[in-house]
Amino acid sequence: MNEKKIIELKGVSKSFDGELILDNIDLKVYEKEFMTLLGPSGCGKTTTLRIIAGFVTPDCGELLFDGEKINEVPPYKRSVNTVFQKYALFPHLNVYENIAFALRLKKTPEEEIYERVEEMLTMVNLRGFEKRDVNLLSGGQQQRVAIARALINKPRVLLLDEPLGALDLKLRKDMQNELKNIQRKTGITFIYVTHDQEEALSMSDTVVVMANGKIQQIGSPTDIYNEPENAFVADFIGESNIIDGVMLDDFKVRFSGHEFVCLDKGFSKNEPVDVVVRPEDVDVVPVEKGMLSGIVDSVTFKGVHYEIIVTINKFKWMIQSTDYVAPAQKIGIYVEPDAIHIMKKSEFSGMFGDYSSFSDELEHLSDVTEEEE
Amino acid sequence: MKKSNKIYTALIFVFLYLPIAVLILFSFNSSNSTNSFAGFSLKWYKELFSDGATLLALRNTLILAILSSVIATVIGTLAAYGIHHMKNKHIKNTVLTVNNIPMMNPEIVVGISMMLLFVFVGRLINSSTTLGFGTVLIAHVTFNIPYVVLSVMPKFKQMDRHLPEAALDLGCTPFQSFYKVEMPQIISGIISGFIMAFTLSIDDFIISYFTIGSGFETLPIRIYSMTKKRVTPDMYALSALIFLSILILLLISNFTGNSSGVKEKKPVTLKQKKRRRIVFAATFALIAIITGAVLISTATTETVVVNVYNWGEYISDGSDGSFDSNKAFEDYYSKVLSEERGHKVKVQVNYTTYTSNEDLYAKIKSGVGGYDVIVPSDYMVERLIKEGLVQPLDLNNIPNYKYIKDDFKKPFYDNGEETYSVMYTYGIVGIIYNTEYVDEEDIGGWDLLWNEKYSGHILQFNNARDAFGSAMYKEGINVNTATELEWRNALNELKRQKPLVQSYVMDEVYNKLESEEAWIGAYYAGDALSMIYNNENLAFYYPKNSDGEFATNIFADAMCIPTGVSEENKKHAEAYINFMLSEEPAIANAEYIYYGCPNTLVTENPDYIEYLGEDYDVIYDPDIEDNIDILFSKYAYRNLPTDKLALLNRLWEELKVDSSSFNGGIYIVSGVIALGIVGFIVFCYVRKVRRRRLYWNTTPKTK
Repeated sequence: MNEKKIIELKGVSKSFDGELILDNIDLKVYEKEFMTLLGPSGCGKTTTLRIIAGFVTPDCGELLFDGEKINEVPPYKRSVNTVFQKYALFPHLNVYENIAFALRLKKTPEEEIYERVEEMLTMVNLRGFEKRDVNLLSGGQQQRVAIARALINKPRVLLLDEPLGALDLKLRKDMQNELKNIQRKTGITFIYVTHDQEEALSMSDTVVVMANGKIQQIGSPTDIYNEPENAFVADFIGESNIIDGVMLDDFKVRFSGHEFVCLDKGFSKNEPVDVVVRPEDVDVVPVEKGMLSGIVDSVTFKGVHYEIIVTINKFKWMIQSTDYVAPAQKIGIYVEPDAIHIMKKSEFSGMFGDYSSFSDELEHLSDVTEEEE
Repeated sequence: MKKSNKIYTALIFVFLYLPIAVLILFSFNSSNSTNSFAGFSLKWYKELFSDGATLLALRNTLILAILSSVIATVIGTLAAYGIHHMKNKHIKNTVLTVNNIPMMNPEIVVGISMMLLFVFVGRLINSSTTLGFGTVLIAHVTFNIPYVVLSVMPKFKQMDRHLPEAALDLGCTPFQSFYKVEMPQIISGIISGFIMAFTLSIDDFIISYFTIGSGFETLPIRIYSMTKKRVTPDMYALSALIFLSILILLLISNFTGNSSGVKEKKPVTLKQKKRRRIVFAATFALIAIITGAVLISTATTETVVVNVYNWGEYISDGSDGSFDSNKAFEDYYSKVLSEERGHKVKVQVNYTTYTSNEDLYAKIKSGVGGYDVIVPSDYMVERLIKEGLVQPLDLNNIPNYKYIKDDFKKPFYDNGEETYSVMYTYGIVGIIYNTEYVDEEDIGGWDLLWNEKYSGHILQFNNARDAFGSAMYKEGINVNTATELEWRNALNELKRQKPLVQSYVMDEVYNKLESEEAWIGAYYAGDALSMIYNNENLAFYYPKNSDGEFATNIFADAMCIPTGVSEENKKHAEAYINFMLSEEPAIANAEYIYYGCPNTLVTENPDYIEYLGEDYDVIYDPDIEDNIDILFSKYAYRNLPTDKLALLNRLWEELKVDSSSFNGGIYIVSGVIALGIVGFIVFCYVRKVRRRRLYWNTTPKTK
C-alpha cells in the first residue's frame, strides 16, 4: 500500500438540529486504499462521506485533500466522485448520456467522449447498452452505470455510499468482486460506506468501525475481527460471546466461575475486563471433559453448522458446532487459550454479547431504517 | 365491476356532462329558441366570429391568460425550488400553508382586497385611472402562483433527492444542476401548473371583475354582462368552443403523464419523455405565436380614448352585418379631430359593460374606473346627481339634444336648472299572456296576475321592488310614497297571490312563457315582443288600474358624464353622446335594443317605422305616449328612503318564507344532517379516546 495521504480529517464534528452526529473524528485515507466505513444506522458514516464529497460542511475541524484545506470548496470543484446509494442516475438521459454527463460539462470533444464512455462500458461489462433507458435497467445494471458515470471523470477518490444495499444477495457478491477488481485496475482510492460487516471484511484494505459518531477502531479486516477493541466492535463484527471477567494476572483470566489460560497481558491485577469468545471457537465436549457446563436452550440448523444456545452460569452462550446436540441436554464446553480475547471495559460493556434476547429479526429491523442526513 | 356499479358510474357521468351536451347541441340549433331544436346549423358559430366585441373580449382573455400563466409559472417554479430546498422543516411547512391559503380564500375576498390595494397604491402615486390591464394581470398572476407551486412541489418531492447532488458531484454548478438535471424531472409539473393557471385565468370572473378597469373586458365579464338582455346562442357556440379547448388542454396535460399528483410507480421511459418534450415545445410555440400576433396589433399613433361604461348588449355592435355604432364614432370623430388638429388622430372607444346600477354606482363612487360616459337608470341618475358624482352637460356641445322629445327632456330624475343626463332608452312594463289559454275578457289590468282561473300558470317577479310594484299598481298605491300600512296591504295581496304563482322569476320568464309552461307574466315591452316573435300565441298589453288609467312601471336609461372627467375628455364624451343622438347610430341602436327611443330622428323615421312594423304600435302605443309624463311622475320607481327600503326587504322575506313548509323542511333536514355529522365526529373521537386510554400513557417515548 502506498503511504501517501490523500485525505485527512482532523477533529471534524458535525451536528444537525442540535444533535451531535460526528464527534471529533480523525481519519487518514491513503492513496490506492480501499477503505470501508462500517457501522450501524446513525453512526455518522454517511455524514463523513458527505463531508468528503462536499455536500456537508463540518462545524469544526479540518478536511485536507493532498494536505490542502478544502472545507469550503464546493462539490463540483473537488476531484472526488460519488456513487449514490440509490444510484441517482438521471432518468431523462440514456445510459450513454448518463456516463458522458461529466465530460459534456467540460466540453470534451465528441470523439474523446465516445472513446472514454466505451472504455467505461467495457470496464463495467455494459457494452451494447448505450441506447438503453436507465429506468428500464435492472438494479445491478443501474449500479454499473452509476459506477461508470462516477469513474469517467478519473477522480482521485471514489466515494461509495452503500452502493450494494439495494441488490439481492447473489448479485451483491458478484458486484463486490467486480468493485474490488475495478479498484485494483484503476488504482483509485475507494471510500466505501456500508453497514454489512461481511462486505466490509471481504473487500477492504482498511476498516473503520464507527458508532455514536465516533470511530471505535481502525484496522485491517483480520485485526478488527481477531482483536476487537471493545464490546461494540466485537459484537458488530461477527458473532461474539462477551462475558464479564477479571484479569487475575498476565495470561490468566477468570470468568463464569472458572479460571482460563489466555494469550493476553499488560492488564493490572484483578482488573475487570470484557472477555470475547467467538461462537465458532467453542468446542462442545461431554460434560465431564468440559471446562464449563450448561443446559442447551435451543438448536437451530444453519446449513454449514448448528447454532446452539447454552445457558452457563445464567449467561447465554452461542456456540456454532457441526455436531448436533439435543435441546435440554447437558453439555460441556472447551475453550482454547488462543480463542479467548480480552478487552478493556468501555462504554459498551454489558450492552452486547448476551444471547438471551437474540433474534435475527431484530437485527434486520435496525438495518431497514436508512440513515438520514 | 358489478352491474349496479356501472349504472351508478353512468349516472354520475350523465349528471356531470348532460348540461354541456345540451349546450353543445343548442349551439347548433338553427333557431334561437331554447326549448326546441329546429335543425342543424352553424349559424351561431358564424355569428360568433363576426361579433367584434366578443372576439375582442376573447382576444383580451387569451392575452391575459397567457401572460399571467407564463409569469405565474416562472415565479411559481422558482418559488417551489426555493421552498423545496429550505433546510428548516417548520419554516417550509409554514410557507406551504401560507401558499395554500389564497386557494382556500373565497375569490370575492381576493378580488375586493386586490381592488382596495390597487386603488390605495394608485392614490399614493397619484394616478387618475388606477385599474386597467396591468392591475388585472397582477391579480391573475397572484392567484395563479399558488396553483403552480402546488403542481410543481410534488415533482420536486418525487425526484430522487440525490439527483442534484449527483449533478454537483459530476461538476455542475448549482445553476447547471437546476437547468440540466432538476428541470427535466419537474417539467411535467411545470407544464400542468401552467395549464392549470391558464385555465383558471381564462374562466376567472370574480377577481377580474373587481380589478379590471375601463377599456378592457374579458370574455367571462362580457358573457355575464349580457344578462340585461338575453344570452344569445352565439354564446352557446363560444362556450362549446371553450369547453372543447379546455378538454384538449386537459388531454394534453394527461398526456404528459401528470395525473393529479399520484406518485408514478412505473418508471417513465425516455420515449415518453421525448413525447413530453414535443408537447412542451408545441404549447410554447402556440403561446409565442399568439403573443407575437397580439404585440404586432398594438402599435399606435396619437390616440384619443373615450371610455364608455354601458349595460351589456345595449348598443348596435356590428354583429350580423349591423351598424357598429362605436366603430362609426371612432371613424367620424377621428376625421373631425384630425381636421381640427391638422394631423392624424386615432380615436378609440373602450367599451365595457356592467350588469346592475349598483355595480355601476360602486365603481363610480370608488372613482377607480376612469369612465367618460356612463348610462345609469333613472333613480340612479337622481342619486348620482344628488351625490355630485356626475357633472352638468354643456348642451352647446350636444346640438342633437334638440331631437329629444320634449316629454323626455326634463324627467323627474333630472329636472333642475342644469342638465346632467340625456335619455338613451326607456321601457315600460306590460303583461304578456298566452292567447290560447287566457280569455280576452280577463285582460286589461294587473288583476290578471291574481286570476284564480289561471292558478299555477302565473309568473311573478323574483325581485322585491317589481313584485310589490305589481300589487301596488293593482291597488292604486303610490309606489314611492306608500305608508307602512300600504306596504302591508301590498304584502297581503302578494300573499293572496302566492298559491296561484307557478314561480318567481327574472330572466327565466322567456323560457317559461315561450314554452307555454306558464301563461301569464309581466316584463318589458321590447322583451315581450321578442317572446312573441318566438311564440305567436303570446300577446301583450299595458295594464291599467281600476280608474282606467295606465298604471305600470317605466324606466329610462340616460347617458351621463362622471365628475372626475377632465375638461378635455368631457368634450370627447359630449361628442360621443351627440353622435349617438344622430340619425344613423340612434336608429341602429333603437333597432338593436328594441326598447323605446326618445329621439324624434328615430321615431319619425319611415325606415325605422317600417322595420318595427306592428311592433311600432306596441312600443310607441299612442295611448301610452300621451301618458308618458304621468307614468314618469307617478309610477317610475324613485329612490326609497332607507327605512322604507328596510321595510321592503323585511316584507319580501316574510312573503318568501311565509307558510312555506318546504323551506322549513329544508332547514329541518339540514339541521338533522348537521347534527348527525357532529354526532358522528363526537362518537369517533370518544371511541378513539377510549381505545387509547389503556395504552396511551404507558407507551414510552420513542425517538
